[in-house]
This record gives sequence, C-alpha cells and structure tokens, in this order.
Amino acid sequence: MRAICRSFLHMLKFIRHDMMLFAALTAPVLAGMAIKFIVPFIEKSLIQFTGMNAVISPYYGLFDIFFASISPAMFCYISAMVMLEEHDDHIDRYLFITGLGKNGYIISRIVIPALFAFVTTAVLLPIFRLTDLSAAQIIFLSLTGTLQGIIIALLIAALSSNKLEGMAVTKLSSLIIFGAAAPYFISSPFCFCFSFLPSFWMGKSIYDNSLIYMVPSLFVGGIQIIILQRKIMKSLI
Amino acid sequence: MIKVNNLTFSYTKKSFIRDLSFSVFEGEIFGFLGPSGAGKSTLQKILLGMLPGYQGSAIVNGTECREHKSDFYESIGVDFEFSTMYDKLSAKENLLFFSSLYGRKSRSVDELLRMVGLENDTDKRVSDYSKGMKSRLNFIKALVHDPKLLFLDEPTSGLDPTNSRLMKDIILEEKKRGKTILLTTHNMQDAAELCDRVAFIVGGQIFALDSPHNLIMSKGAAKVSYTWNDNGEQTASCPLDRLSEDKLLNKLIAENRLLSIHSSEPTLNDIFIEITGRTLV
Repeated sequence: MRAICRSFLHMLKFIRHDMMLFAALTAPVLAGMAIKFIVPFIEKSLIQFTGMNAVISPYYGLFDIFFASISPAMFCYISAMVMLEEHDDHIDRYLFITGLGKNGYIISRIVIPALFAFVTTAVLLPIFRLTDLSAAQIIFLSLTGTLQGIIIALLIAALSSNKLEGMAVTKLSSLIIFGAAAPYFISSPFCFCFSFLPSFWMGKSIYDNSLIYMVPSLFVGGIQIIILQRKIMKSLI
Repeated sequence: MIKVNNLTFSYTKKSFIRDLSFSVFEGEIFGFLGPSGAGKSTLQKILLGMLPGYQGSAIVNGTECREHKSDFYESIGVDFEFSTMYDKLSAKENLLFFSSLYGRKSRSVDELLRMVGLENDTDKRVSDYSKGMKSRLNFIKALVHDPKLLFLDEPTSGLDPTNSRLMKDIILEEKKRGKTILLTTHNMQDAAELCDRVAFIVGGQIFALDSPHNLIMSKGAAKVSYTWNDNGEQTASCPLDRLSEDKLLNKLIAENRLLSIHSSEPTLNDIFIEITGRTLV
C-alpha cells in the first residue's frame, strides 16, 4: 500500500511538471462554470430572440450528465497520458518489477485517480447542476461518470502505443459520453442501439427520472472495464 | 539463488526457449552471452516474473517465478540496457522515488551518486544527462534498495573506457558485498573479466556453461609465437605444451637471435564462435 501511495503522489508531482496535464486538472471547474453561468444566459437570450417558452432548458439534464462525465474523463485522461509517457520511456516496465508491481501500478494510475474523480464529481455536481437532481441521482451520475472515465483511460492505454496515438484515441474514446443524448433525441426502440454505452443509461435514467437504469449502466460499464483491464494486463510486459 | 529446470517458453506455437536447465549460486557473477534474438531478454523476463506462461520450473530466491507476490522484487535489482528514468525529474528525485517503492532500508542516494561520479549533477534534469551519465544513473537505481540479486543488462554499453572500468569495479565490489549477479552481455571481454561462470545461449538453448577460464582452456591450447631475423623478419609458432620439442626455437634461444616471443590464448569470443557457430552480432 505504501508503494501505491508513493506512486500516486509521484504521479501528481509528474503532472505538476507538465503544464498541459496540469491545465487539464482545472477543466472540470471551468466546464462547471461555463455550464452554470453561460448556458442559462444563452437560454435567456434564445427565449428573448425566438419568443419561445424554452429552447435548451428541456435538455438541462443532459448538461448535468455531461458535467458528471467531464471530471472523470479529464482525470482519467491525465492518468492515461502519464501511463503512455511512462510506456514511451520504458518506466512502466521498470515499475512492474519494483515493490509496486503490475497491480499496484494499475491501482495508482487508474483506481485512485478514479476515486478522486468520483469525489470531485460528487462535490462539484451539486454546485454546477442545472436541474434539481436528488442526492441518489448525484451519486449515480458520479459513479457511472467515473466508470466511463475508467473506460476512457483503459481505451487510451489499450489502443495507443505512445502519447501521440493517445491524443488521437482520446478524441475517439471521448465520444462514448455522447450516448447520453440518445434517449433525448432518438425515439424508442431505436435509441437502444446505444445501450452498450453506460452514458446511454445515464441519459435514460435522467430523461425517465428513474434510478432503475443504474443497474444496466453499472453492468455495461463493469463488463467493459473487465475486458479492457484484462487486455491491458496482457499487453503490459 | 536461481534454479531453472527444463524451462520452455514460446511466444508463438514454435518454442523460443527450449528445455533450459541451469543454476546460479549465491554470491557468483553469472553471465549470459549470446547474439541478439538468442533468448537472453526473454529468459530475464521469465526470471523476473514478467512472463508467467512458461513450462518447467524457474525458481528465484526460493520462489517459483510464475507464482511470485509483490515482495518478490524486494530482493531483486534490475538494470535494463535502456534508461528507465523520468526525464523531467532530477537524478536525485528519480532515485528517491524508486527507493520509496521498496519496504527495505534504502542505501544513501548521495553515496550512490558519488560512487558513479554524478555527485555534481544530482539536481540536474535527467533529460540533460549524456548517454553515459544516464547509463550510470540507471545502474545505481538497481542498487538503491540494496537487493541480494542483481540483473544487469549490458551495464557497460555506451560508456567510455574510464567509466566502463569504474562500472566493472563497482560490479566486483557488489559481488564482494555478497550479491549474486546475473549479467547479460555481448561483450566477451567484460564477461571474461567479471563472470565466475558463463552460459552461451543461441536459439533459446544453452550450448556451453562453465567458467571463462575452463571454456578457453578446454577448446584451445595456448600457442607461442616468435620472430627472428634471417634475411628479413621471420615468424613461427608452436603449442605452449610442446615448446621443448621445437628445435628451431631452442636454437634461436641458444643463439640469442629472437626478436620477439609471446603466448596467445584463444579469446572467449573465439570459443563462442567455435562452439555455437555464431558471432555475437
């Protein structure tokens, strides 16, 4: 456990030396402020301009889901970038044969950042939310958002062999958060084409105001994490 | 310290390492010599527990490598051929971080840096280090937790003769401190100088295993070459163990007409080529 904590703290030190990754840490707060203050302002302007009762406010739930996805996605993206840099420099291979080991490495680079992402989301979501989310919904969105973040980090680490490829894979893998829009814009049963994405069930849960969709969301996310984790453990030699 | 029995491993359907058996005793320097692709790195990975899918047995410090737990690495230090340092951090920061990953009491980082002549560059970023400095830093990283067993992969590669000598002296010093050292190298001179025993490995198989001295002596007797002046410089040679039978040599000695005389043993490299039919490239 000592080695895992040291490894995680070392990652924070490493991030401090990388301005791009350090800046990415501020993304959740910046995104939250943009959602909280700019989106309602745009809505007000649009209502005045169009004369309609509501233009984007029916989709405020979707903004909350995106915010719940952003913090974990950014935290896990940072972790994945650190992992890729360590891979490029052969450092990961060395860390596996220290007291840290392969499992300790994965815990310090994926699991602990994900826990931080969960706590950060659970704290920031009540501050920046646009809808009246219940405490249960906040916990659910933070949890599924975190699972999604882990999936993004694992996808980046599994599909890229260096930091440059990682940037490209980040853009592609981030698309998985857009599954949340399917229940809002695609009618049933066609929207279920996206049911393999945890974000789809997040969208479904908020759109239908039902927490029962937490079950398939966690199930789908859990399965994907297990598959990706196995792939990564095999490739990390 | 290390006991390998009937070890077989393959990346594909074809065996890459075939039926290897050998032991490394406590306190010895054991060298693995072979050309690129011979299976040296794969064997090292197996012994480090990184490739658990092997057949047979590979026991390191009493632990079967495929069943190791995290404390397995507490007593193992590894110096890979390539740098495994954080370029953006200083040498000292790197060493302090890596030493913090072990439960064992660490050796003094300042002392280690002084040992390899890097005491004036401790706070310099590793990215600003030369190749030779990185190589020395990489080497002492393997020593920070004072392991019992050292895996060294080409430890003198890329070093100038002075630093190469320094590194070899440190390796011999670590042996005196009781460490067991597994050395992987292309460099026959290093192997002959450092190793108590060497194994020639080609195509995933061991072709010979003995001390460098025994290997040299078993495969070729030393010769004596001599020159003299007889209407220009003349050269001749004869086996060392038949010197007294060489009438010409005896006559030249009696007449004090020898210009030069020296013995020449085959090198470990010659023996490697003779046994394996391969060069070390």
